[in-house]
Amino acid sequence: MNPIKSRREFIRDLGLSAAVLPFVANLPSLAGLAKGHRKQRLVIMFSPDGIVPNTFWPDAEGTDFAFKEILKPLEPFKNRTLVLKGVADRVRGDGDNHMRGIGCLLTGVELFPGNVQGGSDTPAGWSSGISIDQELKNYLQANPLTRTRFGSLELGVMVPEYADTWTRMSYAGPNKPNTPVDDPYQLFAKLYGQKKDQETLESVLDDLKDDIAKVRSVVAAPDRKILDEHTTLVREMEDEIRVSRTRDVGHAVPPLEPGVRRENDKIPEISKLQIDLLVSSFVADSARVATFQFTNSVGQARMTWLGIKEGQHDLSHEPDSNAAAQEKLTKINQWYCSQVAYLAKKLAETKEPDGSGCLLDNTLIVWTNELGQGNTHTLNDIPFILVGNGVDFKMGRSLKYGQVPHNRLLMAIAHGFGHRIDRFGNPDFCGAGILPNLT
Amino acid sequence: MVRSKTFQPEWSTFYGGNLSLLTVTCQNTGSAMMPNRTVRSTLGLLGSALFLGVTLFAPSAVGSPPAPQKGSDIFRARCAVCHGPNGEGGVAYPRALTGKKSVAELSRFIQQEMPPGPKHCSKEEANLLAPYLFNSFYSPLAQERFRPAQVSLQRLTVRQFRNAVADLVSVPHQAVPNDPPTGLYGEYFNGRDTNAKTKVFKRIDPEINFDFGTSAPAADKFDPHIFTIAWQGDVLAPDTGDYEFTIRSDQSVRLWVNGWKQPLIDGHIRSSNDNEFTASIYLVGGRAYPIRLEFIKAGQGVDDSKQRKAKPPGKAFVSLLWRRPQHATERIPSHCFFTQTDVPTFIVDTKFPPDDRSTGYERGSSVSKEWDDATTAAAISTANYIVSNLADVTGVPQDAPDRKERLRKYCERFVQRAIRRPNNSEVQRIYVDKQFDSAANPEIAVKRSVILTLISPRFLYREIVAPGTHDPYAIASQLSFGLWDTLPDAEITRAAAAGELASPENLKNQASRMAADPKAWNKLREFLFHWLKLDDVPDIVKNPVHYPGFDVASVSDLRTSLEIFLEKTAWNDRSDYRDLMLSNTTFLNGRLAKIYGVNLPTDAPFQPIALDSAERSGVLTNPYLLSRFAYLDASSPIHRGVLIVRNFLGRMLQPPPAAFAPLAPGLHPDFTTRERVAFQTKPDFCNACHGVINPLGFTLERFDAIGRLRDKDNGKPIDCTGSYVSKNGMFTKFTGANDLAKFLATDEEAHAAFVEKLFQHLIKQPVLAYGPTTLNELNAKFVENRYSIRRLMADIVLSTITKSSGKQASRKVTQDESN
Repeated sequence: MNPIKSRREFIRDLGLSAAVLPFVANLPSLAGLAKGHRKQRLVIMFSPDGIVPNTFWPDAEGTDFAFKEILKPLEPFKNRTLVLKGVADRVRGDGDNHMRGIGCLLTGVELFPGNVQGGSDTPAGWSSGISIDQELKNYLQANPLTRTRFGSLELGVMVPEYADTWTRMSYAGPNKPNTPVDDPYQLFAKLYGQKKDQETLESVLDDLKDDIAKVRSVVAAPDRKILDEHTTLVREMEDEIRVSRTRDVGHAVPPLEPGVRRENDKIPEISKLQIDLLVSSFVADSARVATFQFTNSVGQARMTWLGIKEGQHDLSHEPDSNAAAQEKLTKINQWYCSQVAYLAKKLAETKEPDGSGCLLDNTLIVWTNELGQGNTHTLNDIPFILVGNGVDFKMGRSLKYGQVPHNRLLMAIAHGFGHRIDRFGNPDFCGAGILPNLT
Repeated sequence: MVRSKTFQPEWSTFYGGNLSLLTVTCQNTGSAMMPNRTVRSTLGLLGSALFLGVTLFAPSAVGSPPAPQKGSDIFRARCAVCHGPNGEGGVAYPRALTGKKSVAELSRFIQQEMPPGPKHCSKEEANLLAPYLFNSFYSPLAQERFRPAQVSLQRLTVRQFRNAVADLVSVPHQAVPNDPPTGLYGEYFNGRDTNAKTKVFKRIDPEINFDFGTSAPAADKFDPHIFTIAWQGDVLAPDTGDYEFTIRSDQSVRLWVNGWKQPLIDGHIRSSNDNEFTASIYLVGGRAYPIRLEFIKAGQGVDDSKQRKAKPPGKAFVSLLWRRPQHATERIPSHCFFTQTDVPTFIVDTKFPPDDRSTGYERGSSVSKEWDDATTAAAISTANYIVSNLADVTGVPQDAPDRKERLRKYCERFVQRAIRRPNNSEVQRIYVDKQFDSAANPEIAVKRSVILTLISPRFLYREIVAPGTHDPYAIASQLSFGLWDTLPDAEITRAAAAGELASPENLKNQASRMAADPKAWNKLREFLFHWLKLDDVPDIVKNPVHYPGFDVASVSDLRTSLEIFLEKTAWNDRSDYRDLMLSNTTFLNGRLAKIYGVNLPTDAPFQPIALDSAERSGVLTNPYLLSRFAYLDASSPIHRGVLIVRNFLGRMLQPPPAAFAPLAPGLHPDFTTRERVAFQTKPDFCNACHGVINPLGFTLERFDAIGRLRDKDNGKPIDCTGSYVSKNGMFTKFTGANDLAKFLATDEEAHAAFVEKLFQHLIKQPVLAYGPTTLNELNAKFVENRYSIRRLMADIVLSTITKSSGKQASRKVTQDESN
């Protein structure tokens, strides 16, 4: 017997009508029913304004290397980490490097000409192509085995409330930027709102039935029919909610600390809430792909909790000779790294629902940035730090390449998910195929 | 027009037999046919009319074949003596003849048992009797038909639900601003944003349609390289449905509609060369919504003003369009723009199943799973909206020290307004206090209270007024739902609470006030479209070879033309029904003028034109209506005639026995349309109905498939004579549309039909449920008030308050007595 069913059949077999469908969103995806397939996941984390090369890149290549200051938080996951130096964003065209840095980072293709003027170069618009996270989402959603409720989640922390080329990295297609959700309460509503609605509704249905009975008792006999029918409908709804709840192999709705305001000084709290919700969504198998964007390209986080008063972008323009600034930038980037490490830790501590190891065994985190270095605005040596075993790359290594186009890395990640594309973004940068030496 | 008293033709004396009407199957016909259920309920009304001893206003069915009615003959001859003439029972057998046997079972029973004694009915007799009994009074369905009309418990219609929720949640404000529509305010800035320091002037722009070229809005006041304009005000949504807004511009643009949080269209980043931005929003008709369009001719991102100014200025244009329900994409016209900016209105955009229309008008007579699901989903989305905008909606700040208590008060008022009466202690306990006392936080309490209220029978069902009891809140509700399809406003609620509605004078004044409100126009407008069968029109397509220029844009303009006509005739101070029938004004713009042979500039706006004024008369000769009731290439006297018979004269027509395709013109190339129709409907079984339909439809033969005046059809002169025999036997001859229109403007039958249809639309109950004389009295008032439709609306609603249906209603009590 074929164990794979369509979602509709699956829901039908649970005895649920279409009416209750909105409430069964937390059911496991069909993929959960298919044994022997691991749930590969991808999280792309973004932090802005380049890094400090001296305190970021390990000196050695191969398996025997040491983390420098910025990457230290990843020490516990060193054997699950892959450091890729010498990968470059070779896309040119309209827009300044910050704009192309973020707009071409996941798309590998030029920005459209437009009306957004950067600090230099010609004005540009949105990206002219889809981003790799959305490409993979579409690939996974097309297959009933890997289809999930959302497919992908676009998250952020303190992303400015305006949409322009500097604030968007995920694209559903040309001219179609996705807006990251940077409010944990909004994210919570997206993930668990329907379940909460269902609970609220259920809590008032007894009162409703009582009151219909009361109204019924005072209307004329011929009019009772419509109220009787109404009562039956309320009972049916109650039954459906009950069924959907008992069938919900569910995942408890995670607690959410209330009242965290959306402001600069709360970035650590917001970041933690967002990461926790992301991990919860993986447990519920609501999505397999996520982007996680700290602020924006040219981001100006002021990391007061590290004792740093200046905005990050302003600091990133300081020359290498300004040791104090470089030290602060090192601390800033180390903080971002600590968030990557926190995500890795949570994923490592959380068991796969089917008992086959932990989430990190099946999740690839890619931590990246729109620039190689802030004060040069270089698009060479774009940081790509890979953590986790979501694809079959050989982890625990530091690799160095000769400024190969990052399109080849994006393709390699797709291949890691079984999506064997031979080009992604601008084909001129895909000629030599996927990035070598990864597996 | 020639009138003469004649003998009533045989077919019109019979009410219940098998009637027939030719069906034509083509793109426009579906709606011309009446579903079976309509006929049944007609019979039901008829039955009840007979029951009440009133036949004057029983709608009569038109036409019947002279088929033998042996079943009834046999019944009269052999059964009625014991069972009574309608099976209601007699002296010998006092019980009514009702039951659940099938026709076959009945027949067998009659053969074996009836009449008692030695000689039962023969098989042949029984086979005729059984279906007659079954259909006339025996079966439960037949019983239903004969049940006296009564006021029944009704839920809110979907339209009423959407309106009520909008008025409940949003800060109360007028449905549309008081000042007439003129355009939007445009604020012009000499800079790259809307910084007040750079503001140059503010003016009213009737439409948003500007091509600035390489210059500025005012050459001496702006730098043509960089300027910003923000247009703002209200936009009127005439109908309920999806509104597709489109901005055409080569610059940065953003559009907000009914909400400031998110732009509906965000085109402030230019990317690629696409100069068109489109997005849709669902809006409820008859309301004005805040709208804002920002236009920025400047670079975004880092300020590049210097580089720009070093080069010659580029071009710039912007226009704002929409595609509203039943229309093509067009520039938003100035008559939909107000300079006043209202607060946004919460709109339920949940998809609902359509309401029952089987009796010819929308009503909330049944519940279904789909309806319950939709209602619940709408309640949840409303509660979520309130909770996520809690401070804005309730006016209670996040950090108010007494927040919980104030939110409880908010919910208390919410419940009161929803159920249209003060909360009794039980309602207060269940709907408010219990939720606040048990919920973990005030947000959850508000959410529970709102959801429970919106799925409560006290909100969802209309109240029933008990006769003899004065229930001012039920009266207020009857007025507002009757005239507005929504909740009572603050004024009528105040009057109810102050006990003012016990005075007939006050009641009348309130009804007059409410009947003059734009919300009443919105409800009347919906009625008029329904009455004219133009509420849901399929695409009107004409042969482009014969009707060049008659494209989707023209059809859309034609509908606008009709909308303007209806508003100008039915909603002025006179609001005179006769104007609807007789006004010879047609509203045309440049595009339509070209098609209908009037000399106007191409871009002329809509204006009153005396189009073929000698030949046109009222709404029946409106080109949109005539185009809709016509074919690709030809007029359709049958569709036009059916509309007149059913909707203007209130006569009943049964659907034809089978579907017939209209004869193709090519089969009889010499025929005119009139000759072809007459030829096809010649057989007796057609003529029963078509003898009535065709002579009415033929009077409009001077108007072709797009409602254009013509002198010849197929090269022959046009015969536009026609006739009608009214229910009282009056025979009238007409020549052309003017004659017909005069007849409809003055004929009592036509008045009565209009009054009854409007009654049904407003009240959503059968008029007979309010007593056998109500319709008569309303007719008399209609005449007395010089056919003022607005007065009629008020009188109709008042008639349901001052009258009740006696015995039936006396069993009912109001919901308030439940505590």
